[in-house]
Amino acid sequence: MNSPKRPDKSTSAPAPAAFDAPFWEAAREGRLLLRHCPACQRLHHYPRPHCPFCGHASTEWREVSGHGHVHASTRVERAPRPTAPAIVELAEGPRISSAVLDADVHALRIGDPVQVRFVPGEGGALALAFTTPQAEAARRYSRAARAALGQPDAAAAQAAQALQHAAVIGAGHMGSGIALALLAGGLQVVLIDPKDEALQGARERMTQALSDEVTRGRLSASDMADRLQRLRTGSGLPDAAGAQLVIEAVFEDMALKQSVFAELDRIVGPDALLASNTSTLDVGAIAAATAHPERVLGLHFFNPAQRMRLVEVVRAPSTGAPALDLARALVQRLGKVPVVVGICHGFVGNRLMITREREAARLLLEGALPEQIDRVQRQFGLPMGTFELQDMAGGIALTYHARRKAGQSDWLIEQLFARGRLGLRAGKGYYRYEPGQRRPMPDPEVRALIEQASAEAGVQRRRIGDDEIRDRLFLLMINEGTRLIEEGMVERPSDIDVVWQLGYGWPDWKGGPMYHADQLGLAQVQARLQALQAAHGERFAPSAQLARCVREGRSLTSHTS
Amino acid sequence: MSHSGKAYIAGIYEHPTRRADHLTTAQLHAEVALGALADAGLRLEDVDGYFCGADAPGLGALTMAEYIGLNRLRHVDSTESGGSAYLLHVMHAAQAIAAGQCDVALITMADRPLAAGTGTRLAGVDRNTLPNLPFMAPSPPMPMYGYAMVAQRHMHDYGTRPEDLAWVRVAASHHAQHNPHAVHRQVVTVEDVLASSIVADPLHRLDCCVMTDGGGAIVMVRPEIARRLKRPLVNVRGAGSAVQHSQGGEINLTHSAARHSGAQAFAQAGVHPRDIRYASIYDSFTITVIVQLEDLGFCAKGEGGRFVADGNLISGQGRLPFNTDGGGLCNNHPGNKGGMTKILEAVRQCRGEAHPAVQVPDHSLVLANGIGGSLAGMHAAGTLILEAQ
Repeated sequence: MNSPKRPDKSTSAPAPAAFDAPFWEAAREGRLLLRHCPACQRLHHYPRPHCPFCGHASTEWREVSGHGHVHASTRVERAPRPTAPAIVELAEGPRISSAVLDADVHALRIGDPVQVRFVPGEGGALALAFTTPQAEAARRYSRAARAALGQPDAAAAQAAQALQHAAVIGAGHMGSGIALALLAGGLQVVLIDPKDEALQGARERMTQALSDEVTRGRLSASDMADRLQRLRTGSGLPDAAGAQLVIEAVFEDMALKQSVFAELDRIVGPDALLASNTSTLDVGAIAAATAHPERVLGLHFFNPAQRMRLVEVVRAPSTGAPALDLARALVQRLGKVPVVVGICHGFVGNRLMITREREAARLLLEGALPEQIDRVQRQFGLPMGTFELQDMAGGIALTYHARRKAGQSDWLIEQLFARGRLGLRAGKGYYRYEPGQRRPMPDPEVRALIEQASAEAGVQRRRIGDDEIRDRLFLLMINEGTRLIEEGMVERPSDIDVVWQLGYGWPDWKGGPMYHADQLGLAQVQARLQALQAAHGERFAPSAQLARCVREGRSLTSHTS
Repeated sequence: MSHSGKAYIAGIYEHPTRRADHLTTAQLHAEVALGALADAGLRLEDVDGYFCGADAPGLGALTMAEYIGLNRLRHVDSTESGGSAYLLHVMHAAQAIAAGQCDVALITMADRPLAAGTGTRLAGVDRNTLPNLPFMAPSPPMPMYGYAMVAQRHMHDYGTRPEDLAWVRVAASHHAQHNPHAVHRQVVTVEDVLASSIVADPLHRLDCCVMTDGGGAIVMVRPEIARRLKRPLVNVRGAGSAVQHSQGGEINLTHSAARHSGAQAFAQAGVHPRDIRYASIYDSFTITVIVQLEDLGFCAKGEGGRFVADGNLISGQGRLPFNTDGGGLCNNHPGNKGGMTKILEAVRQCRGEAHPAVQVPDHSLVLANGIGGSLAGMHAAGTLILEAQ
């Protein structure tokens, strides 16, 4: 008798010759095979050579539709990807214990249609899973939305490939991240900052980030050495001489940026591309400080710049078409996705996020709590909620400083700031965190502060339903998105969805805010906004663009897919 | 073949620990063995039959026999069916004693998943050798997901409500308040259960059993020996077991193998569910209890939710007091195998030795039922009907 408690050597023995190889060959093409018994005519899963029903010695492969419906399902809470363990009843009869993945698992009900979707599992092998037709449609749309961005012309692509020397101005977190992205794209980079300690810190951060990649097996040690070898540092703008591309990432101050651009304009050659990483300032005004505004634009990277795939390419009225094309091609060369946007506060991504955050703050005052608001957003499908995100990104300090600068006061933000509740890194923010844990825990102190904030503002707190929270956050974003279209800030509505997928984790199985609006039905969106307008004020007034689409019976994104 | 009157439970012991940081699993086996023998008034050298699960350390029963010091063994059995294994052991021991294969049978169970940090994994189960491993879902292989689907389907098919599930926990908590060893002694309400966080929709945290270390043991003997000992006579009047699995695609979430094990046990005992005054029902999750009550015939299929509602499982209050030690939901669930502790409390009730606050007045016939494996997949049910004589 073999002991089951022996060391695990037995488990690493190679599997016997693979009887199930045809199953996996079909799986690679997305086809599902079952075994069919020629004697009793029944199908079984998981595949065995004999028939488990009648004992017939041999069965044969049979391809089935891969379609079925949910017999029962549940959900993995806080899974890295939406995961619903499920029993799926195939159209052909057999019930399979599996999981529905990458779909709206919160909306999944018994009887819902599902279809097979093989996914990469442990160790690179495929795993049998299912997904919903709605999620498949949204993924098709997402691919189409990406394709709709188009390609810069061949000349621009060639010019971008020819770029060799880049300069990054400002060695803060964004500057060092952008430098890493440029190094990954194969460029020579000079990182410029007047402060020695800033350069020192940036080099350490960058070395650390690269060696983390090596540890994770995503980068070879020789590639890391090569990238560091292509990095130089400099203390003054003249060090940017010879750069064919300069990306500025200094403090968000218009006068400072204008002086940097005015000087750069004189230092670099006439063909060099000048880009600002500003996330809030008017790129047109920055360009106006130069003698060649046609080569100035914004390149809004997302933090951490070396990893985030989205770059908003900000087009000023003065920006020339060749510069815009070159910038798009360059972003593609970095392995990232360029989305051209116009100049407005927050551009496309942050403008919708700020809209959502403001509304979330109002909901707090009116009676909701961070954990409720965040849960509603996670259940909607976002990877995390507003307040978890702010705790992660240090949003309380950012808001505190932004409000101070704007001369506004916000009692709750000031209290949180004064109590050192700066977010995850401080161990407390809108939530509290156990040492070494990233999981947000509701905190009675925050609850008390929020209740006091309501009292300070003279607001009678009330119970707010999940539906109201969802509508107020997401319909407001949709409405703001239609304003972006109306103002010409995007080239096409689906660009907003690309921005929210790549920059903010809106899942591809849900398309994006504009696609979501179409799924709800624009007339429905308009009607619900009007009801919210009546109850909560003018910020919910449907945009002219939305009203026009409803009047003309048009959708926002249907032409995309 | 009925073995009623041919084998008696003479000794029991439940280890008081809930977290065995300073005891090995083998030590736990030995301590519960000595405890149950002392309860019976027997000694190690009296034991000639030994039963334990395949999860016991080393070479299972043989290693434990050596470690404990069982030197006269004529009969050994390591039936493994997860949490229900010990109900099957009692049945097999009764059969072995009735057949003259042994006189004094010892059954031990022990494990320390908390101290060892092995979580909800069953000791001795090697997932890597599952033949269906490549075809398993790319989702965490945790038991609660299967039971959550059982609950969802039960709600869908029969209108069972989350409140109904909650009543199972409420009843267990009413009992656990009297058990000084119970992990959770706090009496909870339906609202408390529904307010606890969702762990696997529709199951809340309080719908799930505890995870503990510990163990227990049972001594069974021939009638002549039983009458010589000074403990109350507990006859194994009926027993049954059955296996259910997914049949290559015929998964049945709302019906368990307890349909068949229960029918066997009742037929063998010649009694009906209405004759049972106390029931130990395996309670890995609240839904587990509802499905078993239906399958055992305490109520019709689909009526389990209504059956357990309004305190019907609370001793002194409801029609069918269950798990009066607090059960797996509140007391303990050593090694994620709750079958042993189900039997122990059934024996205490049968003897009239449960806590006075929860002892049922008429304890002539009690039942214990276990489910091992997963209701949603492969599992074995074991049913025992015990009689006070």
